[in-house]
Amino acid sequence: MKNTIRIERAFKDITQAQLAELVGVSRQTINTIESNRYVPSTILALKIARVFEKPVEEVFILEEGD
Amino acid sequence: MKTRFLFPYWCKYLGVILFLVHLPVYVFRKELGFTDFSPTDTGLLSGSHIFFVLTTLLMLSGLVLFAFSEEKVEDEQIAQLRMDSLQWAVYLSYIVLIGCLAFTTAHQDIKDLVRMHVWVPLMLFIILFRWKMFRNSRYSKEDAV
Repeated sequence: MKNTIRIERAFKDITQAQLAELVGVSRQTINTIESNRYVPSTILALKIARVFEKPVEEVFILEEGD
Repeated sequence: MKTRFLFPYWCKYLGVILFLVHLPVYVFRKELGFTDFSPTDTGLLSGSHIFFVLTTLLMLSGLVLFAFSEEKVEDEQIAQLRMDSLQWAVYLSYIVLIGCLAFTTAHQDIKDLVRMHVWVPLMLFIILFRWKMFRNSRYSKEDAV
Protein backbone atom coordinates (compact mmCIF):
# COMPACT_ATOMS: atom_id res chain seq x y z
CA MET A 1 0.00 0.00 0.00
CA LYS A 2 1.43 3.37 -0.99
CA ASN A 3 0.47 6.73 0.44
CA THR A 4 0.60 10.42 -0.32
CA ILE A 5 1.43 11.63 3.19
CA ARG A 6 4.64 13.37 2.10
CA ILE A 7 2.80 15.33 -0.60
CA GLU A 8 -0.12 16.15 1.68
CA ARG A 9 2.28 17.36 4.34
CA ALA A 10 3.97 19.61 1.82
CA PHE A 11 0.57 21.05 0.80
CA LYS A 12 -0.36 21.66 4.41
CA ASP A 13 3.19 22.75 5.29
CA ILE A 14 3.55 20.61 8.38
CA THR A 15 6.50 18.53 9.54
CA GLN A 16 6.52 14.83 10.44
CA ALA A 17 6.76 15.80 14.10
CA GLN A 18 3.72 18.08 13.85
CA LEU A 19 1.66 15.40 12.09
CA ALA A 20 2.79 12.86 14.68
CA GLU A 21 1.60 15.13 17.47
CA LEU A 22 -1.75 15.73 15.77
CA VAL A 23 -2.49 12.01 15.46
CA GLY A 24 -0.81 10.97 18.74
CA VAL A 25 2.07 8.78 17.55
CA SER A 26 5.85 9.12 17.45
CA ARG A 27 7.66 10.90 14.61
CA GLN A 28 9.39 7.60 13.77
CA THR A 29 6.01 5.99 13.10
CA ILE A 30 5.01 8.74 10.65
CA ASN A 31 8.40 8.34 8.99
CA THR A 32 8.04 4.56 8.59
CA ILE A 33 4.50 4.98 7.19
CA GLU A 34 5.71 7.60 4.69
CA SER A 35 8.51 5.36 3.51
CA ASN A 36 6.16 2.35 3.23
CA ARG A 37 7.96 0.36 5.92
CA TYR A 38 4.89 0.18 8.16
CA VAL A 39 1.20 -0.20 7.31
CA PRO A 40 -0.91 1.74 9.82
CA SER A 41 -4.07 0.45 11.46
CA THR A 42 -7.45 1.62 10.15
CA ILE A 43 -7.82 3.99 13.11
CA LEU A 44 -4.46 5.65 12.48
CA ALA A 45 -5.10 5.85 8.72
CA LEU A 46 -8.45 7.57 9.39
CA LYS A 47 -6.83 9.99 11.83
CA ILE A 48 -4.14 10.91 9.29
CA ALA A 49 -6.73 11.38 6.52
CA ARG A 50 -8.78 13.59 8.84
CA VAL A 51 -5.77 15.88 9.42
CA PHE A 52 -5.48 16.37 5.64
CA GLU A 53 -9.28 16.72 5.31
CA LYS A 54 -9.36 14.06 2.60
CA PRO A 55 -11.00 10.63 2.28
CA VAL A 56 -8.73 7.83 3.46
CA GLU A 57 -8.59 6.31 -0.07
CA GLU A 58 -6.94 9.46 -1.37
CA VAL A 59 -4.17 9.29 1.21
CA PHE A 60 -3.68 5.51 1.23
CA ILE A 61 -3.81 3.70 -2.09
CA LEU A 62 -3.89 -0.06 -2.55
CA GLU A 63 -1.30 -1.49 -4.92
CA GLU A 64 -1.32 -4.61 -7.12
CA GLY A 65 -0.65 -7.59 -4.89
CA ASP A 66 -2.14 -6.05 -1.75
CA MET B 1 -2.42 5.16 22.77
CA LYS B 2 -4.03 3.23 25.57
CA THR B 3 -1.96 0.21 26.46
CA ARG B 4 -2.91 -2.76 28.53
CA PHE B 5 -0.63 -4.75 30.80
CA LEU B 6 2.30 -2.33 30.62
CA PHE B 7 3.94 -0.55 33.53
CA PRO B 8 4.16 3.27 33.50
CA TYR B 9 7.19 4.87 31.81
CA TRP B 10 8.91 5.69 35.13
CA CYS B 11 9.06 1.97 35.99
CA LYS B 12 11.80 1.63 33.35
CA TYR B 13 14.14 3.64 35.63
CA LEU B 14 13.02 1.68 38.69
CA GLY B 15 13.87 -1.50 36.77
CA VAL B 16 17.38 -0.25 35.99
CA ILE B 17 17.90 0.70 39.66
CA LEU B 18 16.73 -2.72 40.91
CA PHE B 19 18.98 -4.47 38.40
CA LEU B 20 21.98 -2.34 39.40
CA VAL B 21 21.33 -2.86 43.12
CA HIS B 22 21.63 -6.64 42.76
CA LEU B 23 25.11 -6.41 41.23
CA PRO B 24 27.08 -5.17 44.30
CA VAL B 25 25.23 -7.66 46.53
CA TYR B 26 26.37 -10.47 44.24
CA VAL B 27 29.93 -9.18 43.75
CA PHE B 28 30.53 -8.37 47.46
CA ARG B 29 28.69 -11.42 48.84
CA LYS B 30 31.75 -12.47 50.89
CA GLU B 31 32.12 -9.04 52.48
CA LEU B 32 28.37 -8.95 53.21
CA GLY B 33 28.53 -12.35 54.90
CA PHE B 34 26.55 -14.33 52.33
CA THR B 35 28.83 -17.38 52.28
CA ASP B 36 28.84 -20.89 53.69
CA PHE B 37 25.09 -21.35 53.89
CA SER B 38 24.03 -24.17 56.18
CA PRO B 39 22.00 -26.82 54.29
CA THR B 40 19.68 -27.18 57.31
CA ASP B 41 18.92 -23.45 57.48
CA THR B 42 15.97 -23.19 55.08
CA GLY B 43 13.64 -20.60 56.66
CA LEU B 44 12.42 -17.37 55.09
CA LEU B 45 14.98 -15.40 57.12
CA SER B 46 17.86 -17.77 56.40
CA GLY B 47 21.02 -16.33 54.85
CA SER B 48 20.61 -18.27 51.63
CA HIS B 49 17.02 -17.08 51.13
CA ILE B 50 17.86 -13.44 51.88
CA PHE B 51 20.74 -13.69 49.42
CA PHE B 52 18.36 -15.21 46.83
CA VAL B 53 15.86 -12.37 47.32
CA LEU B 54 18.58 -9.68 47.14
CA THR B 55 20.12 -11.09 43.96
CA THR B 56 17.89 -13.26 41.77
CA LEU B 57 14.54 -11.69 42.69
CA LEU B 58 15.86 -8.11 42.51
CA MET B 59 17.41 -8.84 39.12
CA LEU B 60 14.23 -10.48 37.81
CA SER B 61 11.98 -7.69 39.10
CA GLY B 62 14.31 -5.14 37.50
CA LEU B 63 14.31 -6.95 34.16
CA VAL B 64 10.50 -7.38 34.14
CA LEU B 65 9.93 -3.69 34.96
CA PHE B 66 12.46 -2.55 32.35
CA ALA B 67 11.13 -4.92 29.67
CA PHE B 68 7.44 -4.19 30.12
CA SER B 69 7.33 -0.45 30.77
CA GLU B 70 5.71 1.96 28.35
CA GLU B 71 7.85 4.04 26.03
CA LYS B 72 7.79 7.84 26.31
CA VAL B 73 5.52 8.03 23.24
CA GLU B 74 3.61 4.78 23.00
CA ASP B 75 1.94 3.95 19.68
CA GLU B 76 0.78 1.00 17.59
CA GLN B 77 4.08 0.55 15.75
CA ILE B 78 5.98 0.27 19.03
CA ALA B 79 3.37 -2.23 20.25
CA GLN B 80 4.00 -4.29 17.11
CA LEU B 81 7.79 -4.12 17.52
CA ARG B 82 7.32 -5.25 21.13
CA MET B 83 5.19 -8.22 20.09
CA ASP B 84 7.63 -9.23 17.33
CA SER B 85 10.57 -9.04 19.74
CA LEU B 86 8.72 -11.07 22.36
CA GLN B 87 7.87 -13.76 19.85
CA TRP B 88 11.47 -14.00 18.63
CA ALA B 89 12.83 -13.98 22.19
CA VAL B 90 10.60 -16.92 23.14
CA TYR B 91 11.53 -18.84 19.98
CA LEU B 92 15.27 -18.26 20.43
CA SER B 93 15.34 -19.01 24.14
CA TYR B 94 13.45 -22.28 23.68
CA ILE B 95 15.71 -23.30 20.78
CA VAL B 96 18.73 -22.64 23.03
CA LEU B 97 17.13 -24.47 25.97
CA ILE B 98 16.10 -27.51 23.93
CA GLY B 99 19.52 -27.61 22.25
CA CYS B 100 21.33 -27.43 25.60
CA LEU B 101 19.08 -30.03 27.25
CA ALA B 102 19.60 -32.42 24.34
CA PHE B 103 23.35 -32.43 24.98
CA THR B 104 23.22 -32.46 28.79
CA THR B 105 22.92 -35.57 30.90
CA ALA B 106 24.12 -34.52 34.37
CA HIS B 107 21.20 -33.77 36.72
CA GLN B 108 22.89 -30.68 38.22
CA ASP B 109 23.58 -29.22 34.77
CA ILE B 110 19.92 -29.63 33.80
CA LYS B 111 18.89 -27.78 36.96
CA ASP B 112 21.32 -24.96 36.12
CA LEU B 113 20.01 -24.76 32.55
CA VAL B 114 16.41 -24.50 33.70
CA ARG B 115 17.45 -21.87 36.27
CA MET B 116 19.22 -19.93 33.51
CA HIS B 117 16.03 -20.05 31.47
CA VAL B 118 14.36 -17.86 34.09
CA TRP B 119 16.16 -14.74 32.83
CA VAL B 120 17.36 -15.63 29.30
CA PRO B 121 13.99 -14.99 27.52
CA LEU B 122 13.68 -11.62 29.27
CA MET B 123 17.24 -10.62 28.38
CA LEU B 124 16.76 -11.69 24.76
CA PHE B 125 13.48 -9.76 24.58
CA ILE B 126 15.09 -6.60 25.95
CA ILE B 127 18.04 -6.84 23.54
CA LEU B 128 15.82 -7.52 20.50
CA PHE B 129 13.30 -4.81 21.35
CA ARG B 130 15.94 -2.15 22.07
CA TRP B 131 17.75 -3.11 18.85
CA LYS B 132 14.55 -2.77 16.80
CA MET B 133 13.79 0.59 18.44
CA PHE B 134 17.33 1.80 17.78
CA ARG B 135 17.18 0.67 14.13
CA ASN B 136 13.79 2.33 13.71
CA SER B 137 14.97 5.69 15.02
CA ARG B 138 18.23 5.48 13.01
CA TYR B 139 16.33 4.87 9.74
CA SER B 140 14.01 7.78 10.39
CA LYS B 141 16.97 10.05 11.20
CA GLU B 142 18.61 9.02 7.90
CA ASP B 143 15.34 9.70 6.05
CA ALA B 144 14.95 13.08 7.70
CA VAL B 145 18.38 14.22 6.44
